[in-house]
This record gives sequence, structure tokens and C-alpha cells, in this order.
Amino acid sequence: MPVLFCRRHLLAALSSLMLSAAPASAQNEAPVIAAASDLQFAVTEIAAAFTAETGHEVRLSFGSTGNFATQIREGAPFQMFMAADQKFIADLHAEGLTRDEGVLYAEGRLALMAPKGSALQPDAALDNLAALLEAGTLTRFAIANPEHAPYGLRAQEALQHRGLWEEIKPFLILGENVSQTAQFALSGNAEGGIVALSLALAPEVAAQGDHALIPADWHAPLMQRMVLLRDAGPAAEAFYAYVQQPKAREIMVRYGFVLPDEG
Amino acid sequence: MTLKVALRADVPIPLDVAFSVAPGELVALVGHSGSGKTTILRAIAGLWQPEEARVTVAGAVWLDSAAKVALPAHRRHVGMVFQNYALFPHMTAAGNVMAAMERPDRAEALRLLDLVNLHGFADRKPAQLSGGQQQRVALARALARKPAALLLDEPFSAVDRATRERLHAEILALRAHLAMPMILVTHDMNEAQLLADRMVVIERGRVVREGTTAAVMADPDALRAMGIREVAAMLPVTVEGADEDGLTRLDAATGPLYLPGVDSAPGTRLRVRIMAHEVILSRDRPVGLSAQNILPCTVTAIRAGDGPGVMVHLAVGADEIVASITRRAAAQLALQPGDTAHAILKSMSVARDHITGAGRT
Amino acid sequence: MDWTSLTLSLELAAWTVAILLPVSVLGGRWLAYGRFRAKGAVEALVMLPLVLPPTVFGFYLLLAFGRNSPVGAFWQETFGHQLVFTFEGLVVASVIFNLPFAIQPAQRGFEAIAVDLREAAATCGMSPWRSLWKVELPLAWPGLMTAMVLTFAQTLGEFGIVLMGGGSIPGETKTVAIAIYDRVQGFDMQGAGIMSAALVAISFSAIAITYGLSARVGRRLA
Repeated sequence: MPVLFCRRHLLAALSSLMLSAAPASAQNEAPVIAAASDLQFAVTEIAAAFTAETGHEVRLSFGSTGNFATQIREGAPFQMFMAADQKFIADLHAEGLTRDEGVLYAEGRLALMAPKGSALQPDAALDNLAALLEAGTLTRFAIANPEHAPYGLRAQEALQHRGLWEEIKPFLILGENVSQTAQFALSGNAEGGIVALSLALAPEVAAQGDHALIPADWHAPLMQRMVLLRDAGPAAEAFYAYVQQPKAREIMVRYGFVLPDEG
Repeated sequence: MTLKVALRADVPIPLDVAFSVAPGELVALVGHSGSGKTTILRAIAGLWQPEEARVTVAGAVWLDSAAKVALPAHRRHVGMVFQNYALFPHMTAAGNVMAAMERPDRAEALRLLDLVNLHGFADRKPAQLSGGQQQRVALARALARKPAALLLDEPFSAVDRATRERLHAEILALRAHLAMPMILVTHDMNEAQLLADRMVVIERGRVVREGTTAAVMADPDALRAMGIREVAAMLPVTVEGADEDGLTRLDAATGPLYLPGVDSAPGTRLRVRIMAHEVILSRDRPVGLSAQNILPCTVTAIRAGDGPGVMVHLAVGADEIVASITRRAAAQLALQPGDTAHAILKSMSVARDHITGAGRT
Repeated sequence: MDWTSLTLSLELAAWTVAILLPVSVLGGRWLAYGRFRAKGAVEALVMLPLVLPPTVFGFYLLLAFGRNSPVGAFWQETFGHQLVFTFEGLVVASVIFNLPFAIQPAQRGFEAIAVDLREAAATCGMSPWRSLWKVELPLAWPGLMTAMVLTFAQTLGEFGIVLMGGGSIPGETKTVAIAIYDRVQGFDMQGAGIMSAALVAISFSAIAITYGLSARVGRRLA
């Protein structure tokens, strides 16, 4: 009997834990915004400002644009999608998953980045990188995965333009999204990488590494488009509008984005 | 209250048996390993179902393949004692006994444990009990259910000889309290002869002989499978007293037996198992022999077999013993039914575990 | 320190354990005692999630329960939203993925019970349920305990499946493992470090407490 007692205690404890922790999945009001990883810092700031001003909460989810597109197709409950490349938005729109064609909110830029003390000194012409490759001293170089991360594809184009793609391919490490790429680039395990300028400019990142802006004509433009998805509610709509307003645009500029009508 | 059994099957071993057990009767199912006796017991218990079977107890149908009735084991009112005790290791002795009760009654459990001489052991776990003690708990547990039939599956084969002796004595003492049909599966002929009222000999799944213990044990044909050296008879005696030199005098119907190491008090009634091949016969009372035991008797029958031996049945007063001698010897002595003779037995020939309580007789 | 994601992970682990406990007992027992021809196939099927990498598993779940599947369509009809990318979806995924952890040790626990003990229970008049409660569970519980601890720990740390089929939605599917991943990507090493330490501490204490309690119970039974 004493044995049973003890087991009953365990069972009672477990069930009260479960009951009190009934799933928090009861519909949370704040809409979820899917945003490309390069917006990690910029949009977090914008969202904080939005909440301070309007009192509306939004929930942010950062990741690779390609992955988000797939998840949205599978029914992910995002209400707004801020992509790093407009092609993904166009495809989703064609499939009827978006409210409209969306709107261009920024143009992204590439930055060559290297941790402080790396053998690679970032320069805009990528000459130092070429030199490392020539000398055979490059061990690893990080870019985002070109298959589903727009910044990765653009990095590939830039490297191709500079004629370094074939040589550098064996040394590439691919980040699942451009944030992870920045991680890899600064981890000390690579000489550096190509990341979003918006990440390189973030204080947390800038403290650890140096960067150089890669010429915009070396790659197809990173036309970053955002769109409201089918089930978007009023809070998402409000945020969508907010991103296009001066306060938000000013934050974007601070993170190195080029605003659409300023070219 | 009678247990009636009829079973037939082809797998896993061929079986075709039918027998019955009266209330209060203990029937021994004997045979070699593989003969099917344990399988039969498991079928009665409900642990195995043969193709065709009918098992009834006191009119309640436990198994009837023709009528598609097959009560699961837990719904048959059976008490079973397993060879390896099968006590629940996480329960005390009392707990084990109460596990078999519908409404756990600790007082009743203690009473049953007393009955099997385990007073004071109620709160010990099986790991703290010896083999013999565990088997007693198993017996108490089997009885706790007030079963309609008691089944014992080689219950004493896992304990040592001395313990087995004690347990045999206890079972015999217990018989007075047990009113249900009982089946004992064993390959130990001594055990069968000591405990059983009737015997069913199983060979290759079939009944080859059935009858009272005395009759079966005196019949070499019946015991062909178990071996002719198992032929024996139980002789009732009364303890007269112990002598100083270590021999005890036991009075049989026609004379005394002197046997070593019998602890019982004067006046106790015992039975002695006398192996047929240990008995020497002579017409006249012999003198100058070392053997201390010389019993006058009368030849009642002489049965010849295929071999060089014959089985001589002898009356010792109202009791019977058997002697296995050669045909030549029988001819030399010119023995005939009705003749008087003397049965000679060495004191040292009788094993300690061949002497037991009087049982129900 | 992201408390929401931590509680989310704990809730997910608790629900998974709660749902799998009866499955563990009944499934483990059925496989331990059963002698049927398809037994090998069933055991292999139960083991399947172990063979698949969590991301592959998450991918298949997305296909099987997503918007374009019968289950997804039914869910949408009935509840007005998808099963995938919700907490319930994670629970479903977690329950399926943890089947091998929940069933296998339990099965071994029941197998370890000598056959004649179960037969003795039957001849004592115990129905299969009574036998389960009074004889088998007291003897098989270490296996069950292992099963539940493994399930709990495994779910707390689950990443690949949640990544694929969760969507990292704060308060819904952003479990602590995902949150740590996010922190690292956000260059918040301190935050990541604090949450990782918290996760390790909680998992460790949960396991230590469980085994401590079980040792005490075990001593009573011995």
C-alpha cells in the first residue's frame, strides 16, 4: 500500500502540472510576421517602435525567405511576409496565397565581412579575398545557401562576377539563412563571408567584425518585397502600413537599406 | 464436486486422456518428462487450450470445445502450485496469499500461513524465504482462493531432499483440511506413492494405467515406463519405541520392523515404502542372517513378466507387499499362492524419505 | 531569458509524456506478451522514427498533415485553422516521434516479468486488468520510468521536427531549442547561454528527481 501511495503522488503531481499548463495555444491575438533573416535587427527595432506607438503587439519569426515561402504554402499561419527577394512574393501571389502583389519596402545590399584579426581584410573590390585564394591560404568562406536564401544567390552572383566562384566553391560553408551565415563568418572558423549589409551594420555584429560594401551592380538587385497574407488581421495591416512610414524607413536606412523611391 | 477431464490434441504434443478425480481425493499424474502430464495440468488450469476438451468441476463447465465454452484461467476456481513457486516478489508472504482472495482478509491469510507452518513469516518477502518456505506460501496462496480443484505441478522438484520430506509430511497432515479434488503432477514415484490415493500413468500423451496407488505401484507393467525398480508397496506400521542402538521398532501386522532414525513418538501410525527389489523371500524363518526384519506373510499371487523376474504379491496380515525375485528362485522355492513365507528386509534398505505419516487411512 | 519558449517546451514535453504513458503501458505490454505473426513488422514500424532524421520526419509530417493533405483539410474544416504550425501539431509530431522511446523500454520491462508470474496471477483469480495493476506494473515500472524520462528529455531538446513543422511562432511553436537557435543567430550569445543553461538544469533535475524517486520506491519494493 505505501508503494501505491507514492506512485499516486507522482501521478497527482504530473496531472496537476498538465492541467495548470493547458496549452497556451488558445488563440494568441498578436499576428505573426515572417521576416527574412537580414531584417533581424532592423525589423525588431521597427516592431518595438510600432508597439510603443500603437499599443499593438506583433510576433516576429526570422528565417530564410525560401523556407518561409514553403511553410506558407503548407499553411503556416503567418499574416505578413517580408521577403528578401520579390520573386518569392510573386510566386505566392500567383498561387493565390497573398492578398495582393505586395509592396517594395527596401533594397538590400551585400557586404563582405571578416572577424577582427582575420587574415582577410575586407575591401569592396574583393581583391584581398582573391589574393588569399591565390596564395592558397583561404580555409573557409561563408555565404547563405543560394538555393533558398536570396542573399546567398546574390553572393554567388557577385563572386561569379568577380571571377572567383569556381575557385572558392570548395571552401564555401553555407548558412541556412543569412543570419547563420553571419554567425559562421564571425565564428573564427572561417576567414569571413558575404552577408547582408543590414546585419554587418548591427552594433552587436559590427563590434566583432569589419565589412566592406560590395558594389550593387555585381549582382541582381535584392528587391525586398513584403505582402499581407490571406488571413491578415487589422494589427498586421497596421504594421504593414507602419513599415512604409517615415519612422520605420529611417530605421531601415540606418541599417544600410536603400529605400525604393530613393534608388 | 468431482473433477472430470477429457482432453485431445495434436499440437504441441499428441494428447488423448480422460480421467476423473473425486472430492478430497489426491490423484498423481505420473510419467516421464515430455509425457504430457504438465500439459494436461495446464489445460485444466486454463493456461493452455487443446483442440478438443471437456473439463467440468461440480457441474460447472470450465472447458467444452464442442459447446465453445472456454473459461479463461482467472475465472476457473482453481488453485495452482507451480514448480518454481511463482510468488510475486514485490509482495510479502501475507500479501501473496491475499492476492488470491477476492476480498483481502489478512486474518484469513495468517490462518492459512499457520496451516502451512509459516507462523510469524507473514511479513517476509519471497527473497527472504527459503525454497521450502516459498513453496508453502505458494500452497497457502493456492488454498486462499477456496479452489474447486487443487493442482500441483511438480511442486517439490525444486527443493532439496530433506525439505521435500518435510513438505510431504505437511501435505499429508493437510489432507484432513482439504475437501476438493487434487491433482499432483510428478515424476518422483516415491512422492506419488507416499501422497496419492490413485495414480494415472501417462506415456506419450495417453493414459496407460489408472488405479489405486497400491495396485499401480505393485504392477510392473504399469510402471514399465518408470522402471521396474520403482515397484513398491506401502506397509502400515505403528511406532513402538526407539532402542538405544539407534533402531526404532515399528510394529507391522505380522511382526516388528527395525528401522534406523525414525523420530516419531510411540503410538504414531506411519507407512513404510518397501521396494519390491529389496525384499528377499524364504519359506522357513531364516536364522543367522544380518537382516533384522523378518516378516511372516502369505503368497497371494505370482505374476510373471517377459523377463527373468516374477512379482510375488504377499499378504502381511490385511496389508500387502510385493517382492521381485527371479523365476528360477520362485521355481526353486516352489512358491504357490496360499503358501506361507517370510519376507526379509535389511534395516538399511529403507530410505528415510520412504517413511511417512499415515495419511488419510 | 525567453520564459514563454521555456514554458512552451515544458508543456510540450508534459503533454507528450501524458499521452504516451498509456500508450507505453498498453503498447509495451501488448508487444511483450503477444505472439502473432505481424509482431516483427509492428516492432519495426514503432522503431521507424528513430531511423529518420528529425528534419526528414518533420518534412514527412508536413506532407502528411499539411494543408494539402486529408488530415489538414479536415482540421481546417473543423477548427478553422491548420494542424501544422500549431502547438497541437507539435504535440502530434512529438507523440509519433517518441513512440520508440516510449514503447521499447516499456516492452522490455514487461518482457522481464517471468511468464509463470503472470500465470500464477491468472490462477489466483486475477483478471488481466487486475494482474496489470497488482503484479505487472509493480514489476515493470522501471522500464516505464525509463520510457517516460527518455520521452520527456527527448522532447525538451527536440529541434529538427519543430524547425520543419513549427514555424517558430512565438508562444505557439517557438520552443526553447528554437529560441536558443534564434538568439545565436541574433548574436545574443549571453541570452543563448542563459537559456541553454536553464534547459540543461531543468532536464537534469527532472531526470535526477525521477531516478531519485524511483530508487526510493524501488527500495520499498525490494
